[in-house]
Amino acid sequence: MVNTYLFLAYSLVWLIFVAYAWTLSRRQARLRRELDELKARVGRVDSPAKR
Amino acid sequence: MRNAFTPAVHLAVTLAWLIVALFMIFLYAPQELTMGEVQRIFYVHFSCAITALLGYCFVFLGSMTYLARRSRRADDFAHAAAEVGFVFCCAVLVTGPLWAKPAWGIWWTWDARLTSTFILWLLYIAYLMLRVYLVNPGRAEVLSAVVGIIGFVDAVIDYMAIRWWRTQHPQPVIGGGSGSGLDPRMWQTAFVTLGAFLCLYGYLVRQRMAVAETRRDLVALRRDIAA
Repeated sequence: MVNTYLFLAYSLVWLIFVAYAWTLSRRQARLRRELDELKARVGRVDSPAKR
Repeated sequence: MRNAFTPAVHLAVTLAWLIVALFMIFLYAPQELTMGEVQRIFYVHFSCAITALLGYCFVFLGSMTYLARRSRRADDFAHAAAEVGFVFCCAVLVTGPLWAKPAWGIWWTWDARLTSTFILWLLYIAYLMLRVYLVNPGRAEVLSAVVGIIGFVDAVIDYMAIRWWRTQHPQPVIGGGSGSGLDPRMWQTAFVTLGAFLCLYGYLVRQRMAVAETRRDLVALRRDIAA
């Protein structure tokens, strides 16, 4: 029974950190994708004007 | 000169350090005589608690710097330190009761240490909620910085609680009185684990600051397009 607490404590701690790291990487990937899309769109709009 | 300690290197060092820490926790540190195996929760609980407290010190420093210099980078640092510190504080509040139940027979008690840790968790939430719900430019930064500075008082009380008052929580193993302390192998394990968690904290703060930087670039580009 006692080892159940040990198992739960370590499992939950790793779950907390992995879940947070995963949400961080998802947030960064989404923002980066939005930024790249916007840059590409601006590039397409700018190009004819520059010509 | 390029920084050799890239995020990928930082992550690799953190993971290697965590593996060494786990090895020491389960295979190197001796079993405690009274509590047995469950005492091994101590290593992760202690490391997360120290990191959560240090995290609030970083929030305090970042907030002070932001208010003094209006430095965008200091604000990003305080915000990242708060968000990651909150995650560590959650880990403390999860591991604490899971250790308390077999050791004390209860999940929770409102003694000085546990209560001040709970208040620290609420302060982290207050800081993060201000960042989310205040949208006026500059206002969220200033008000959350004020919470970051005022809340530091609780971080000090939290650290000193087991020194100032008699509590259900054990007396300090660091800087405690005579009779406190640990077996040398337990000490070594505790410090290696603490180092690994501090390294993890540093990595996560760094990644959170990168997210803030990308968001700022995105907002600036949108503003340029709109102008």
